[in-house]
Amino acid sequence: MIAPLLALALAAVDPCAPVQPVPPDPVTAQAYREVADAELAAGSRDTAAAAYRDALARDPSDEASRSALQRLCAAHGPDPFQDGLRRMDAEDLPGAARAFEAAFAADGNASAALLGGIARYELGDDEAAERLLRAAERDPAHREEARFYLGLLALREGDGARASSLLEGAATNPALASPALDLARLARRDGRVVLSLVAESGWDSNVNLGPGGPDGVAARSDGTAALAASALWRPRGARGPYLRAAGLLHNLATLDVYDLTGIEAAAGWQLRAGRHGAAAEYEYAHRTLGGDDYLGAHRLLASGWLRRGRAVAAGSYAVRFESFAGGWSPFSGVLHRAEARATLDATPRLRLGLAYAGGRDDARESVLSYWEHGPRAEVRILLGRARLGVDLGLTLRAYDVFDEALGARRRDTYLDGAAFVEVDLADRWTARAGIIGRNARSNVDALAYDKLAPSVAIGYTLGL
Amino acid sequence: MHALALALALALGAPDGGAEAHLLAGAAHFRAARYAEALVEFRVAERLGEREAAAYAGAALVKLERWDEAVETFETAVPGGHPLHDYYHALACYGARLYTCADRLLADVGDRSGPRIAEQARGVREEIARALSAPPSETSLAWYRARCEARRAEGRTALAAAYCREADALAARRVGATRAAGVDTAAAPRNGGGP
Repeated sequence: MIAPLLALALAAVDPCAPVQPVPPDPVTAQAYREVADAELAAGSRDTAAAAYRDALARDPSDEASRSALQRLCAAHGPDPFQDGLRRMDAEDLPGAARAFEAAFAADGNASAALLGGIARYELGDDEAAERLLRAAERDPAHREEARFYLGLLALREGDGARASSLLEGAATNPALASPALDLARLARRDGRVVLSLVAESGWDSNVNLGPGGPDGVAARSDGTAALAASALWRPRGARGPYLRAAGLLHNLATLDVYDLTGIEAAAGWQLRAGRHGAAAEYEYAHRTLGGDDYLGAHRLLASGWLRRGRAVAAGSYAVRFESFAGGWSPFSGVLHRAEARATLDATPRLRLGLAYAGGRDDARESVLSYWEHGPRAEVRILLGRARLGVDLGLTLRAYDVFDEALGARRRDTYLDGAAFVEVDLADRWTARAGIIGRNARSNVDALAYDKLAPSVAIGYTLGL
Repeated sequence: MHALALALALALGAPDGGAEAHLLAGAAHFRAARYAEALVEFRVAERLGEREAAAYAGAALVKLERWDEAVETFETAVPGGHPLHDYYHALACYGARLYTCADRLLADVGDRSGPRIAEQARGVREEIARALSAPPSETSLAWYRARCEARRAEGRTALAAAYCREADALAARRVGATRAAGVDTAAAPRNGGGP
């Protein structure tokens, strides 16, 4: 979008440089002056300056060219707009923003207002960004680009209705239509309050993680049905505090002992400043299994991210204090998990991600405590109203001590895979089909298993 | 870019001090990537009577990414028949988002301009095919029509006509796509089962 403006930096002609005379030729000089006048009328000051210089070189008595060149020279000075372009090209966003603001203040240049607004948006200075983008919006040449970024600002503020309206306005420009309409659709699901409901049905090839799961018997498959609901309240949009609550029902067709219910509530705070951000969250979760109390857990989470161009580096750490009920109580303890992640928007429609995670489960029973770590790769593809995703992960887990019951110090390797396709059926309705799978290997043969679980789901999301 | 300047220099031969000298000076600036200066020389040559200079000015405007002016210049230039002119004309259309205009010109460039340009033309046509893969929306058509009206109001009739032609071409694609979808729907099973 800004490439044509950046190209101007390559075409600079100095109108203040001395003019070297050439053999007089008033006829040709007049042609140069006419070209210069036309270029100036078209707003091309560099080309106009070059032509006026040629006119003056061939006709030193040409006062019209001389005075036009003097005006261009006086206006030339240190050009803050060109300075802003150079700084933006060098990713000096604060410097670029200041330069564009100076250019806008000097002559009301709408291009400077647009680029200054974009720089301020990237820096997270939303108030200044909105002021500049509103100014750029008044110029028909930049109206759609300005509305696109004003829509992004509204999204960041959590004002989904205003964001979708602005993005639809931006979509009248064919070059922006695709991203703007995609974002407008997402904006209608966004807001300061977001409610969602997902119904899912599927099949699980190995509910009991056989042959070595809790029953110690062969794998048993079953049909599944699930319902999940969540509510998010963020009074200041994507930045600031938020509260979240969610509930989950996951029932099996015949193996009722594995029916799962869950509720969770969380409170957090997200900070965003330009190309980096951080979040902290507390969450309480409770689960029942087969109708009985199973788990109560308190989790603290901290995460941060940093964007550079099309790449994002992120890190997170979570600690969960787990309290299992009844016969599961030996699993109680403290679970730590840390992850480093890098993602790259290889193209506007293709995102690649690579992560490495490590975890430590410090269980009450040392025989159940372990360290684990491993890589994970993700691919996300945007195809119009559909999104495709493929994940692949490897986890190496080593338990702390020799388990006399197993006759071994357990070491497991998990290969996990997932694939899904998600389609926006309407503004707030989404259909999803996916499959997850795991190949678990262990030095204890009875604890090795395979699992496949395909599912289809439909979801409704409402942003207010 | 060098190919255009070279073609120009070969076509003109030695300068005779008139419009051709300015064409050659423009070609020299063009070759040195001084496109603003090249544009000035081509425009002066045009004013001194060199009718073919307009197409070269169009190429310089493409390099300066002044798409609308480039399209306008090519649309009003005397047809020279040089495949490089068509190539730059196509780039001007592409830059101005006149995709069907660009595609039509590039299809005609073919291999007439040598393997390097032909390869670049193929690449641009692939990008155009991706851009045109979905039927155009009503908002897109409205955008082209609004541009057409705006340029006409400015008195830039050739440029306005280019935008109107694009709107018409896209509207035709939209009708074609709708009909194709209708045929598919009619032929598809309606009971949810396979054939």
